[in-house]
Amino acid sequence: MAVLEEAPPVPASRPPRTRRRRGAATRVHPVVVTFVLLPLLIEGFWVFWPALQGFYLSVTDWDGISAAQFVGLDNFREMFGDQVFRDAAVNTALWLLLFGGLSALLGLGAALLLQQERRGVGFYRAALFLPVVFSLVATALVWQAMYQPDGLINNVLEGVGLDGLTRSWLADRDTALYAVLVPALWRQVGYVMVLYLAGLKGIDPMLHEAAKVDGATPWQRFRHVTLPQLRSVNAVVLSVIVIDSLRSFDVVWALTQGGPYHSSELLSTYMYSTAFESLRLGYGSALSVVIFVLAFGVIASYLVRAFREAD
Amino acid sequence: MATSLPSRRRFLTGAGAAGLSAMLSGCVTSVRSGGGTAGGAVTLQSNLSSPQAKSALQTVVDAFNSRGGSRVSLNTIASETFRTQLPTYLTSANPPDLYTWYPGSVADAYAKRDLLLDLDDLWKGPDLSRYSAALKRLCSTRSGTKVFVPTTYYWWAFFYRKSQFEKWGVSPPETWDEFLDLCDKLKGKKVEPIGMGAGGNTAWISSSWFDYLNIRINGPQYHRDLLAGRHRFDDPEVRRVFDRWDEARPFLDSKSTALPFQDATTELLQGRTGMMLIGTFFADAVPKGGLDDIDFFRFPAIDPEVPMAEEAPTDGYFASARSRRTRQTKELLGYLATAEAQELYLKGSSGTALPTHPDAKDSGTALVKKGRALIEGADEVTQFFNRDSSDELAPTADTALIRYLAEPEKIGSILTTWQRDAEKIWGK
Repeated sequence: MAVLEEAPPVPASRPPRTRRRRGAATRVHPVVVTFVLLPLLIEGFWVFWPALQGFYLSVTDWDGISAAQFVGLDNFREMFGDQVFRDAAVNTALWLLLFGGLSALLGLGAALLLQQERRGVGFYRAALFLPVVFSLVATALVWQAMYQPDGLINNVLEGVGLDGLTRSWLADRDTALYAVLVPALWRQVGYVMVLYLAGLKGIDPMLHEAAKVDGATPWQRFRHVTLPQLRSVNAVVLSVIVIDSLRSFDVVWALTQGGPYHSSELLSTYMYSTAFESLRLGYGSALSVVIFVLAFGVIASYLVRAFREAD
Repeated sequence: MATSLPSRRRFLTGAGAAGLSAMLSGCVTSVRSGGGTAGGAVTLQSNLSSPQAKSALQTVVDAFNSRGGSRVSLNTIASETFRTQLPTYLTSANPPDLYTWYPGSVADAYAKRDLLLDLDDLWKGPDLSRYSAALKRLCSTRSGTKVFVPTTYYWWAFFYRKSQFEKWGVSPPETWDEFLDLCDKLKGKKVEPIGMGAGGNTAWISSSWFDYLNIRINGPQYHRDLLAGRHRFDDPEVRRVFDRWDEARPFLDSKSTALPFQDATTELLQGRTGMMLIGTFFADAVPKGGLDDIDFFRFPAIDPEVPMAEEAPTDGYFASARSRRTRQTKELLGYLATAEAQELYLKGSSGTALPTHPDAKDSGTALVKKGRALIEGADEVTQFFNRDSSDELAPTADTALIRYLAEPEKIGSILTTWQRDAEKIWGK
């Protein structure tokens, strides 16, 4: 913005009229500049600067107390041989697939079911959206109680004679990750549903009318009318899902802390425990750089493609 | 309007330059130095967040404030947050003055980085100079400087309900074989013999088993050396610990790694489990009057040649070297070291801790008297896994031990991984 205003002083020989006109065209009101610059400065100081320092820390060895030591790319080299990192990366990919895929599918399904204005539909929409309002940590506590060995889930299983299926859901390495996934999904579905509901509202009813007149089946109408019309919403949903799955942390940390023995470890929880429990802040920063590159890469490549198609 | 342009530009340039230079110099990692004198109340950062302990400490703080000298304000932090934030507190430019924490190798690690206030002069005072030699050693750094003021300690043992043991017709064991017999008998009575409580957020409870087995089999000195990195976790000595654990493992509650210790305590009180290796802090979760039925026995002897050490973690305070209120902080520490302050604290808490002051009276119940005798009669005293090593090493133990309890047949590779993880911590 500042560059815009630094137009070189106009030679006095020029007719004053042109100068005034040009000035009016390029000149931005200082209040507007302030409104743009102030948030930028705050964002820069509190977000970009620490983020840049995170990049710097990722090439150091730092325990948070002594001075940091520059170690080059050692942290990234260490990741290749780190079994926990590999497991966490696999878990994160699995999480992205299940959390992202299921929440998109279920969210779209719920939106399709609840898009028509029928009696009581508001109640169901509110019920599905309610988990979004709750704090995820509070949600996790409720689910933790249900997952307990004597909790609701095992009691119900015993009650219907499925004793063989009861287990310590959060303490069993085979179920821990999925047990954590369910509350996260429970919450995300409502959010995605609202996004899709908004998208569905934006579709011109005339299109459906026309398709109906042409004899299209409901499936054909969904496939060839609804879905193409939702393309812009899909881009938003995808970004939200990718970002949310890569930063999923609170629910995992509240329920299992990545345990038992790293079996529900995601990159985000591994980053936290490395940095703040083991106090290996250099390696933790390197992990967060990887998370950043992954999130940024996925989203940027999708957006670039989406915009290219739009043109 | 016109004048705002250059000033804003200058501001931006200045801010940019400042940001850039700070960034290039890696300001976030630089070590600041502070210290000096200032007025105001001493901030006491406490991790005692259980209701009883918190209100007990508040009583002590109120008593100190009512003496009319320096003032103190208590700031209680959830213990998990406190643990992860402690390095940040200590290295900040204007840190809280005083902290609840642990003596021994944990304090020594901070002292080595010049983060803790030197308390040598305070230890020459009327109260601290009479503390036991073991405590004096525990509160000194390797170079001999005193940096810690201990106030209470507690003990670990197998706790059980007297009435339940009578009902089952069993008595506390002395040796490992008697212990296994007892477990066998309880199993025959359809009781889960041993509760643990290493699930939820309290996986660290499993370290007590490792500590005690290692102390009983390889001795306390080997244990301390191992935790300091002078032995390896994949050594045959450590393997022997798990061979013994294998003998007791069939008697562990199937929910050992699913329930946090608070829930495991409930199971013990309800008679669903027979006993539990736990520290006396579990009493905070016991309803009033429930403690009368509780008794304990020491972890049984395994090798008669090995001296009988007990785990007796000591709690207390250290102060920041960068405190701006060193005089007031020392005044408060002096008060906390008195018998009066410790008795006041114990009266308000669950009363199962023991005071460090030689003259201070404990709560006087049979349980506490027996506990004091156990520790005073012990050949040696250890702290606990994290306190004898470091807070950073503790998570590696949690991972290894919980994995062992789930997949005991993989102990070989578990110990190899543990050693590798530990080397990353020791190598720092």
